[in-house]
Order: sequence, then structure tokens, then C-alpha cells
Amino acid sequence: MIGGLRISRDPRAWIFLGVPSVFLVLLFVLPLVSMIVLSFWRTENYHIIQDWNVDNYYVIATAGAYVTFLIRSLVMAVIVSALCVAIAWPVAYGVIVYGGRYKLLLSLGFAIPFLTGEVLRVIALQGLLGPLGLFNGVLMALGAAPLRFIMYTNFASAIGLVYLYLPIVVTVIYLSLLNFDMRLIDAARIFGAGPFRGFIEVTWPLNLFGTLIGFALCFVPCLSATLVPRFLGGPSGTLYGMALAQQFGESGTWALGAAMGVVLFLLSIAGVLLVFRFVDLRRSGFTGFGRS
Amino acid sequence: MYISLQGISKQYASVWAIDRVNMAIAKQEFVSLLGPSGSGKTTLLRVIAGLEKPTEGRVLIDGQDVTELPPHKRGVAMVFQEFLLFPHRTVRENLAFPLRMMKMPKAEMDERIDWALGILSLQGLDGRYPNQLSGGQQQRVALGRGLVGRPKVLLLDEPLANLDRELRQEMEVEIRRYQMKLGIPFIYVTHNQEEALSMSDRIAVVNKGHVEDFAERTTLYDKPKTAFIAQFVGRSNKFEGKVTAADGGSCTIDAGGLSLTASGNGGLKPGDAAFAFVKNEKVALAPEGFVGEDNSLPCTVRDVILRGAYAEYLLETSDGLGLVASRPRSGEGPSIGHAVVAHWASGDVDLYPVKPDLGLRR
Repeated sequence: MIGGLRISRDPRAWIFLGVPSVFLVLLFVLPLVSMIVLSFWRTENYHIIQDWNVDNYYVIATAGAYVTFLIRSLVMAVIVSALCVAIAWPVAYGVIVYGGRYKLLLSLGFAIPFLTGEVLRVIALQGLLGPLGLFNGVLMALGAAPLRFIMYTNFASAIGLVYLYLPIVVTVIYLSLLNFDMRLIDAARIFGAGPFRGFIEVTWPLNLFGTLIGFALCFVPCLSATLVPRFLGGPSGTLYGMALAQQFGESGTWALGAAMGVVLFLLSIAGVLLVFRFVDLRRSGFTGFGRS
Repeated sequence: MYISLQGISKQYASVWAIDRVNMAIAKQEFVSLLGPSGSGKTTLLRVIAGLEKPTEGRVLIDGQDVTELPPHKRGVAMVFQEFLLFPHRTVRENLAFPLRMMKMPKAEMDERIDWALGILSLQGLDGRYPNQLSGGQQQRVALGRGLVGRPKVLLLDEPLANLDRELRQEMEVEIRRYQMKLGIPFIYVTHNQEEALSMSDRIAVVNKGHVEDFAERTTLYDKPKTAFIAQFVGRSNKFEGKVTAADGGSCTIDAGGLSLTASGNGGLKPGDAAFAFVKNEKVALAPEGFVGEDNSLPCTVRDVILRGAYAEYLLETSDGLGLVASRPRSGEGPSIGHAVVAHWASGDVDLYPVKPDLGLRR
């Protein structure tokens, strides 16, 4: 049970809770507030003009392109996150069950992709999927027709996003499964559940919380993805995040970009809240409330 | 027999965790598998449950060969040491789990759950989550989850190991009562001889994957079949020595200068190395100068350990040999530093050859 907001009077509590609070206020809250303020101003010829208005939001809502980008991004983020979860589960489960003493090594293996930069990884993918890339190059050398759907399409973007965020999702689900007492499956089997039923009754609900964190950690950056659609998405692959980045870059419409950012932020929060709305933490075996 | 284990062996890598175990258990029986940790007793239980597949042998429950069946098709239930309640389910839902898996109608299910809550005195707790319960309450729920589906056999894997002493003794009585009430066999794994002795009809002593003996609890305690059982069950004084004389009726052993007489010869010949065990409570104490019976040994009381109804006297001979005598506390016993004579009947000495060949594969 949540024991109210009683925080220890120990002075050390102020250091442990205070430092991260200052950090969050300086680096997260302040920029967010400044972005919200900017979104109600406007930009003209690369100058910020401080007259309060809601034009930026009006543009986002009425100029069809932004709504299209947004819906496309939402669909993309849902599909990519679901795919990541679907792939990550068997991978993480396999490492936990069969990893034996190499478990730690295998789990560290998930982190290897992070050792290179995101740009490099996306460009490498472009090299694989593009018209002269490895796949199509080989196909054409063999005299076959190239696979058009992997060249500069939303499909290619989806592959890229799954590739980028899969390691995070695998790691999160791996950690969730690591804390899961596998012997509960024995208990379920003894009391009449076959393997599938045992999974549905015990393994899945007890790792649902971890799975949702994995989903959210993929979903949120997918919504604001810029690099992947730019390099892999092609002409009809513009995503919301990419359009947003353009406002701050080529077009210099910073206020509009800020408004787009606010919309994205609110949507991400709404998405995460919506997901967690349907989760009763008790039903996920979450014991972080303590016993007091 | 209701449950029959026929030549069960289980091999892990190159080690035989269980080696050719044969057991037959009747329908109303409370059986304990008693052994030290790593002896294979839990593996044996998991083989009966179907959680492990035996490398060799067959498991029969109620006349049916279940060796190839998965756990959920065997009609068994289990109570685990760590309880393993489903943390995301309330007490009622935990109890409902086995019944839901049987697809029992709702009304009957409620009736069964209420029955289980009743006999386990868990009324009023059915809406709680496991982490809101005390250890004893969790234990009861685990037991209830085992009983609610009316299994053909209940398997218990050290279910009391995580409870404190007082609660444990209370639960021992209760578990035995449920078993008698339900009339199904309970197979109870424990490393605690007191638990095994207090509840079981018969006890199988497991050592190194091998059943040393499977016998009535009194037989097991009074007439231990092997040196391992003599050492593991009850508290005994252990002597090691050489047989100096043996005939049909008695046997004399020289254990480091101390001469012991035993009735029966345990199949030993003069010159054989032997272990002799005398239970602590069989060692009587007499005032200095006492001579008589078959074995008497002058000692000094080094310490007295009070155990409530009885006391343990830690004795030492002039040669520095240690000995323990457990005596009921009636009147004044000898106090620390007193000279006494420890004596016991030759019939209370259990003799075993030093190196019995168990024929183990390892």
C-alpha cells in the first residue's frame, strides 16, 4: 500500500532525492516550459516574434500533411513496438531458460549495437536495403527482380525502427523475466495447466509490467523518429518526428516546431497513460508498494 | 498398492541423482522421504509429480502408468517449500486455480473453496494477496491449493522449512489431521527427522539417491537397518572399532581401548572394522563405583544441557572419549564435574560393518 507521501527526514534523503530533482528541473522541466512558451509565439524570417497566439496549433490541426504524418507515426510506432515485443519475448525467454552460465554474457550482447552511433547503424541498414544494397544487389546479380518494398518505403522504415529499438525491448523483458520465479510455472503445471495455459495464467501477467515498459520505451522514440524515415522512408515515408525536425532546420519555423513538439509530448503521455490505465499493478504481481 | 515406484533412476550429466528406487505406498498412508540435502529426495518427489522425467523406471498411480504423462494429467498436487503462491492472485483465486483448470462449475467451485478456507481457518482472508499474508497463512493457502482439487496424492516438499518452530509443530499436527480426514496418501519430503517421525506412517531414508530403508517409523527408529540411518535418525553415540570376538549371541568390539559388548553380531567376524551406535537416551547414569550390566564406563560430567523435559549430559572418559546421555529430569541429576558411570545394555548397541557395499552407480 502507498504509505502517503512520507519522505524520510534523514538529511541524506535530501541529497539522494534532491540532486536528481534539480537535474530534472534544469534539463527537463525548463526546456519543456520554454518549448510550450515558444509554441504560442511565431517565427518570421528566422526571427522569433513574441505575440501570443494559437496559430501554430491551428496549422497543425488543419494543414492535412501534419495530421497525416502524425497518424502515420502513430500506426508505425504501434506496429514497430508490437513487433519488437513479439520478437523480444522468445529471445529473452530463451536466454533465461537456456542461457545457463552464459546468461550474463548473452544479455550483455544485447548492448553491443549501442556501441556504434545511431546514424551509422541506420546508414548501414540503408546499404543493406537500398536499390544497390546487399539484398537487391544479390537478387539482381542472380537475374531476379529487386524487392521494391524494401527500397525507401514505410516498410523499410519499420525494419529500421525494429532494428534500432529491439535491443532495448529485449533488455527490458530480459530483466523482467530474470526477476520472475520460473518455479511458479511448475506450480501452474502441477495444478492442471498445460504449457500454453501456464504461460497465459502466470508467465504473461507477471511479466506484463516489464513488457509494457519495453513497449513504451520503443513506442515513444518511434513517435519522434527522424533519422530512420529520412534515410529509409523514401518520398511517402515522412514521419511526424522528421517533419518536426525540419521546422527547426531547413524551414526555420521554430514556433511551429515547438507546437508540434508539445503535441507529440502530450500524445506520448496520453499513450503511456492509456496503456497503464488498463494495468492493475497488483495483477502484475508488482510488490513495489512495500508491505507497510 | 496405490502408488508404485518401479526401479526409478534419474541421471544428471554423469551423476545418478536417484538410483534404482522401488517403493510401494498404500492409499491411506503418510510417507516421508527423509534425507540430508542433496540426497535426491526432492528429485524423487519431482519425478512422482511429473516435473522431472526419470531416466529409468516407471511411476504408477492408482494402477495407471503415469511415467509419460505431464504433471497436469496425473491428478497430483504439490505444496512447495517457498509456497509458490501466485502473487498476482488473491487467496480465493489461488485456491480456485486448480478447480478452474478442471473446468469445474462455478457453484461447486465456490463450495470447494469455502470448504478449504474453512478447514484451514482462512475465512476472511480470501480477498488478500499473498504478500499481505504472514508466513503461516501463506503456508495454509499453499496447503489449501493442494487439497482443494481432491488430488489422488499430495506431494509436500519441505513445506514447513520456512516456518518458525512453534508454528511448525502446530502445522505438523494439522497436516497429519488433513491426511487422515481425506484418506489420500501424502508424500512428504524433509531433512528434519522430527517432522518425519511425528507425522509419518512409514519413512523412507534417502541417501545418495538410494533408499536405505523404507519402514514403519518405530522400526526405523528402534532398529536402524544401516549405519547411515543409525546416525541420521535419532541422536546416538558413535563408536568405531574392530571386532575382537563374535559368536551367534554376542559380539565384542574394541573401540580405541574401550571394550563394547553387543547382542547379535550383525554378520561380523573377528577382525572386521565396525561402527557401533548407542542412542543417547539408552545411556543410563549411575553413581561412581557402579558395576553391572553389559557395558559400563566411568566418566566425568563435563556439561549439562537442559532440554526441558529431559537433560543431555555431556560426559568424558579418562581417555578423553566424549559421550552423551539423555535422561528424563526426575529429581537431582549429577551436576557438572561429578564422576558417574555410564552404562547401557548390550541389546541397545547397533552394529554395522564400516564399509557396506550399497552397489551404487557413480
